[in-house]
Amino acid sequence: MSSRRLAWAAMGLVLVVALGVGARGKSGPLTEDQRVHRVASVIRCPTCRGLSAAQSDAPAAEAIRDEIRRRVQDGQTDGQIEDYLVSRYGDDILLDPRANGVGLLVWALPLLGGAAAVAGLVFVVRRNRVRPGRRRVTAADQALVEEALHG
Amino acid sequence: MSAVLGTAGVTLGLVASILGMITLALGLRRKNPGLLRAGQRYTWLVLAGGVVATIAMQYALLSHDFSLKYVADNGSRSTPLLYTVTTMWSALEGSILLWALVLSGYLAVMARHFRDRVTDPIVAWATLVALTVAAFFFGLMAGPANPFRLISGTIPTDGPGPNPLLQNHPLVAFHPPMLYLGYVGFTIPFAFALAALITGRVGEGWLVETRRWTLFAWGFLTVGIVLGAWWSYAVLGWGGYWAWDPVENASFLPWLTATAYVHSVMVQERRGMLRVWNLSLLVATFSLTILGTFLTRSGVLDSVHAFTESAVGPAILGFFALVVAVSIALIGWRGDLLRSPGSIDAPVSREGAFLANNVAFAAFAFVVLLGTVFPLLAEAVNGDQLSVGSPYFNKMTAPIGFTLLFLMAVAPALPWRKAAAETLHHRLLWPAWAGTLTVVACVLGGLRGLGPLLAFGLAAFAGAAAVRQLVLSTRAALRSGQPVWKGVLGRANGGMVVHIGVVVLAVGFAASSAYGHKAQFRLAPGQSARLAGHRVTYLGTSTVVHSNKTTTAARVRVDGGKVYEPALNQFPFGSQAIGTPSVKTGPLSDVYLTLVVTPDEQGVAVIGVNVQPLIAWLWTGGAIMGFGTFLAAWPGGRRRRRVKAAAPERTTGAQDAAVPEPAVAR
Repeated sequence: MSSRRLAWAAMGLVLVVALGVGARGKSGPLTEDQRVHRVASVIRCPTCRGLSAAQSDAPAAEAIRDEIRRRVQDGQTDGQIEDYLVSRYGDDILLDPRANGVGLLVWALPLLGGAAAVAGLVFVVRRNRVRPGRRRVTAADQALVEEALHG
Repeated sequence: MSAVLGTAGVTLGLVASILGMITLALGLRRKNPGLLRAGQRYTWLVLAGGVVATIAMQYALLSHDFSLKYVADNGSRSTPLLYTVTTMWSALEGSILLWALVLSGYLAVMARHFRDRVTDPIVAWATLVALTVAAFFFGLMAGPANPFRLISGTIPTDGPGPNPLLQNHPLVAFHPPMLYLGYVGFTIPFAFALAALITGRVGEGWLVETRRWTLFAWGFLTVGIVLGAWWSYAVLGWGGYWAWDPVENASFLPWLTATAYVHSVMVQERRGMLRVWNLSLLVATFSLTILGTFLTRSGVLDSVHAFTESAVGPAILGFFALVVAVSIALIGWRGDLLRSPGSIDAPVSREGAFLANNVAFAAFAFVVLLGTVFPLLAEAVNGDQLSVGSPYFNKMTAPIGFTLLFLMAVAPALPWRKAAAETLHHRLLWPAWAGTLTVVACVLGGLRGLGPLLAFGLAAFAGAAAVRQLVLSTRAALRSGQPVWKGVLGRANGGMVVHIGVVVLAVGFAASSAYGHKAQFRLAPGQSARLAGHRVTYLGTSTVVHSNKTTTAARVRVDGGKVYEPALNQFPFGSQAIGTPSVKTGPLSDVYLTLVVTPDEQGVAVIGVNVQPLIAWLWTGGAIMGFGTFLAAWPGGRRRRRVKAAAPERTTGAQDAAVPEPAVAR
């Protein structure tokens, strides 16, 4: 292994270890506040525009947070709480549309589009690489060069 | 009086636009230079129309002429002077007037800039296209969005004033004009793009002409968006600055496509490639400014069916459809001329990186557009009520953001055509170590979470790469006997300054999103609460009656030091109280205070506290980006060197002059 590669491999190792340690996060189960925040951040504040129930200080958002907290204390899962809120307020209470029915499109289209774009990119680069020097030098071109050099 | 003057201005603008279009069309058809010259002169009349209408509107607002419906609906005698002036862009009709004013200004600057080339068909066609856009906006004001409509019935003696949120912070005087200077500025490159297609002169000439226009528009839009985020932070009171709200997305969309363009245009200038793509990006950028206006100004966001209540929505949507249809037809028609002579030799090259950059920006724009219009589409198609909000946008755009940061780090070090491993090693090793060591330092400092750590690492990598380029270019400037500041001028070097701004902004965004703390405290006077290492002490409240509002302000001492006064404002015509946050801002963290509930009988108030790190980096990053754009657009550099050296442009790019590339790069 050349010293050049060694330098990059060492860096990669340091980076992976550091990210590994950093990504593990603080251990232990989530606290009640953290769970309330996690659910509330995907719930729309019914009286605001574009804010989640976790972000807004509006009374309606506070009421939703209180409801979530009650249900967290009752031992419900995040999914159960979301189901309850959807049944009460309708599908549009979720800021993250569910990936079923029409809502599937909003998740699938970017992924399909992204895959198509990457495939297209690879295709373009490949196509150009397999045909290097596809342009033949014509006599007219050579004449032009001659003229430029000696004319 | 102001109604007559205003209507005269709007009519003048509309008639001059149409006459200009006709004159130019005739001149182009008959190849008559006299007519082309005359056609250009109409732009000055359009400007006069825009200025007269604006003066009339300002006069009406300042003199409280409530016979005008716009003033009666949005003005008030008690509004302070600054917000009376800004009332012009506080509602639909006035915003269209501001748009028309800015557009007529750009038109006049364009006419002056190209005054020696008025008989050139490409200039004539571009002016014709720009005049068509002007005719549309003046037409809107002459018809459905008339800002000078008279009130029917008795004239009121006072009005409600602008939306309370729009008279709460001085940034409202800067954010919309900046944004509009950006939006509208893209009209000129768009006009030249169409002119190039129509005349068939799709070579690189028109690009060079419009390069600086695009840069300026981009810079204004960037600063406008950042100011909007700042306004949002300072006024809305939820502690954040970006909510992926459709109005914000509408300004962000053209920014994304324009950013893709300012990068990919370099590939075309350098290698002659991506012609169709670049034209499409310019068209997309302009179309998205129109679509954004439709989304934010037609009422469609309140309900899919609301926008047909006034003719404004359908008119803008129709214009959008026209722009898209005409552009696609023109690109299709000229398809054979647009075939590019060059090709990409290797994926790991400057042009390869620009291509990847463009795919990333296009994907970014697609996700934001889809998420913004999806609820509307779903409702229109089968009546489904759906929301698409920040969790969706954050999830979908974060990987794209990381990709862009990575490309920003690597691309400046890549040579054109092909990169040798030796070159990459030499140029990237130290920036990459800067990124790695930043991650290590953050982890050792106790920061956790893969997302923010990746963001910090990539940001440091990209920042170091940009600094490396600037150091090299500055050294090169010194070596060739030029002053130091020459090293940061020109497009490549200014671009690196912009990159540093992006890095600073990205770090602020990642840190404030990941490590914020938010809480509400019920406090009696004298009581304290702690959050994230900060102590807030509630001292009491006081109520002040202003001319336009009644303010209840809480006095809150932060960390035993200065007293801050978050407040709640009651406006006479607004039902809901509007909060005014108060922020202790610092280079490392912000303590953001709001008064959530005014004191009850026992004097207990509810104080909202947000502690978020590195918020100030967002505004700083935005300022650096604006400054970098200014440096990048600075005349000279390239051009002057070209004259002096009299060498072809392809080999005298500022980049090459500044950074000696090893022979392998060629």
